[in-house]
Amino acid sequence: MNQDPRAFREAGQAALHDPGLRIALSRLKTHFALNRALAVERYGDWEALREQGCAIRDYALANLDTLLEQFERAVTARGGQVHWARDAKEAREIVLGVLRQHGAKTVTKGKSMVSEEIGLNPFLEANGVVPVETDLGEYIVQLRHEPPSHIIAPAFHLNKEDVATTFREAHTTLDPDRLLVERTELVAEARRMLRAEFEAADAGITGANFLAAEEGAVMLVTNEGNGDLTRLLPKTHIVLTGLEKVVTNLEHGAVLLRLLTRSATGQDISSYVTVMSGPRAADESDGPENFHVVLVDNGRTRLLGTEAEEVLRCIRCAACLNHCPIYASVGGHTYGATYTGPIGAALNPGLMGVGVAHHHPNASTFCGRCAEVCPVKIPLPKIMRYWRAREYASGLAPRTTVFGLSVWAFFARRPALYRLFVGGGARVLKLLARNGRVRAMPLMKNWFAVRDFPAPQGKTFSELWAARK
Amino acid sequence: MSARDDILSAIRARRHERAPLPPVYGPPAILNIIDAFVERARLANAEVRFIDSVADVPVAIAELLRARNLPAIVHVPPSASQLPWDTAPGLTLGHTAPGPDDAAVAIAPFGIAETGTLAYPARADAPASWHFRAGFEIAIVRAGTILLHMEDVIARAKSAGLPSTVNFVTGPSRTGDIEQTLELGAHGPKALAILVIRE
Repeated sequence: MNQDPRAFREAGQAALHDPGLRIALSRLKTHFALNRALAVERYGDWEALREQGCAIRDYALANLDTLLEQFERAVTARGGQVHWARDAKEAREIVLGVLRQHGAKTVTKGKSMVSEEIGLNPFLEANGVVPVETDLGEYIVQLRHEPPSHIIAPAFHLNKEDVATTFREAHTTLDPDRLLVERTELVAEARRMLRAEFEAADAGITGANFLAAEEGAVMLVTNEGNGDLTRLLPKTHIVLTGLEKVVTNLEHGAVLLRLLTRSATGQDISSYVTVMSGPRAADESDGPENFHVVLVDNGRTRLLGTEAEEVLRCIRCAACLNHCPIYASVGGHTYGATYTGPIGAALNPGLMGVGVAHHHPNASTFCGRCAEVCPVKIPLPKIMRYWRAREYASGLAPRTTVFGLSVWAFFARRPALYRLFVGGGARVLKLLARNGRVRAMPLMKNWFAVRDFPAPQGKTFSELWAARK
Repeated sequence: MSARDDILSAIRARRHERAPLPPVYGPPAILNIIDAFVERARLANAEVRFIDSVADVPVAIAELLRARNLPAIVHVPPSASQLPWDTAPGLTLGHTAPGPDDAAVAIAPFGIAETGTLAYPARADAPASWHFRAGFEIAIVRAGTILLHMEDVIARAKSAGLPSTVNFVTGPSRTGDIEQTLELGAHGPKALAILVIRE
């Protein structure tokens, strides 16, 4: 499995030849995309909702400093504590510090992409704390020592046979002859194994879908109920989140929630939505005694005021992944990064540096589906173009690309020469074609190994245009 | 400089314009609150039954358990201890936290028509964790407390003083994490029944 964004091309080649992954990826269209389309249709005025969501996120980003301060004051007033982390290392150390402060040795975890982003689990393990992922998909990939391959479906790349094998290897205390074939049996086994972990944990770590500044509250969305058991049963609850998740108030969160669940899984609402603020009050019978929120920057504020700023609107629904022809071909692990698909392509160069993640914005056909389905209208192709320009400017583009572009630019600046060359080229291609398709060209063996294209039909566009005039 | 000051000053150095506050959002209209609630709750795999009054709750619960071939045992939080349980003599009450195969009662202060959701601002006599511990949750909601939208519940909860936890529950627990195929009962309840009191 690829852990290096710089190895995107090689990892992509391997992914294209993985038969199990082909089956798993075929579920993008039949499940996620279809369910989203049906939910959007059921809703009614989806475009007005998107406009509102976009305005809510833009307002929050334009007032990020004051909203974060307001959020901090409100959390503190409710007996919680807010911590600020400039980067991944600081975030990891803050979490460990809070766990040590409360004497926590075992930790259950709700799903958190920020936790993956900062590499929290290996760090905790190295420091004597046992983290247990409780979202079913996260649990499966944790047992397999793999990162998640999809923002909302961590085990998207696996089939049920893979999960059965993983459970048999991990759950050695259970009867080795037990029946473990159907999805229902797999879910029931995970339910049984994890319930004991919830009851035993000293602390729980969850992410956040939205932070409501006025109320100092965290809005958390799950379908399994694992996020709530993670918050409610242990003594200490830590919320680990990107600082851009803040919005004005819970009402704004409720609007974004309508966009989130429909875009993510095609549900009108997830099974569980929880508003969490502070530790349990004196007159409440449940909930943590200690409540901490860790606000992680890790490259986010650096994007403010740049042409990539809109990427911070993201509410992590994964609709762009589910509609991306590149993601559908190579899957999530190929990216070698936490955020994959179009949102990864727009975000990773900002968080990881153009030098590390410059392949990601190139992994796009610019078909534009990602921007069409984005619930908060992030212009993803525009942002990818911005990173491509940065890649070119920093001399990171492959020499063949630079050479090809300069050849093209030479002709494009000389229209007469361009027309002559393109007209001749089209006729040569027609000669190279067999049965109406071009399947091979000199020096392009690799390109044609996995594709072909239709032969030109005769005249060029410029010729047809001139003829019509 | 502290991380906090560093981050805030980085934001201020890059921020130039302030966007205006968006106008309040008006969700699509709902014509019939109760019909919408029932339709949406069923769409989310909840079973919905109507009863005429609070007095009918114990018998209705006994019937729900019988229909599912479950033992006639139900865990009851303090908030539901005043119900006329002696009207269902065969029913045994548990007062401890329910286990993963147990049935439990929850009294929902609010319903939400838009999504078929039950809303529970935390209270001393109704442990929030029970919504996730039980195997079968039986929720009770009065028709008159079903509101239109989540925003309406948020407003009520805020005006009463926001508790540390507000749970919004729609249907039973579920997961699609294995092959994107729906399975009910991931960590929380495998089934949810809602008794709507008409009175």
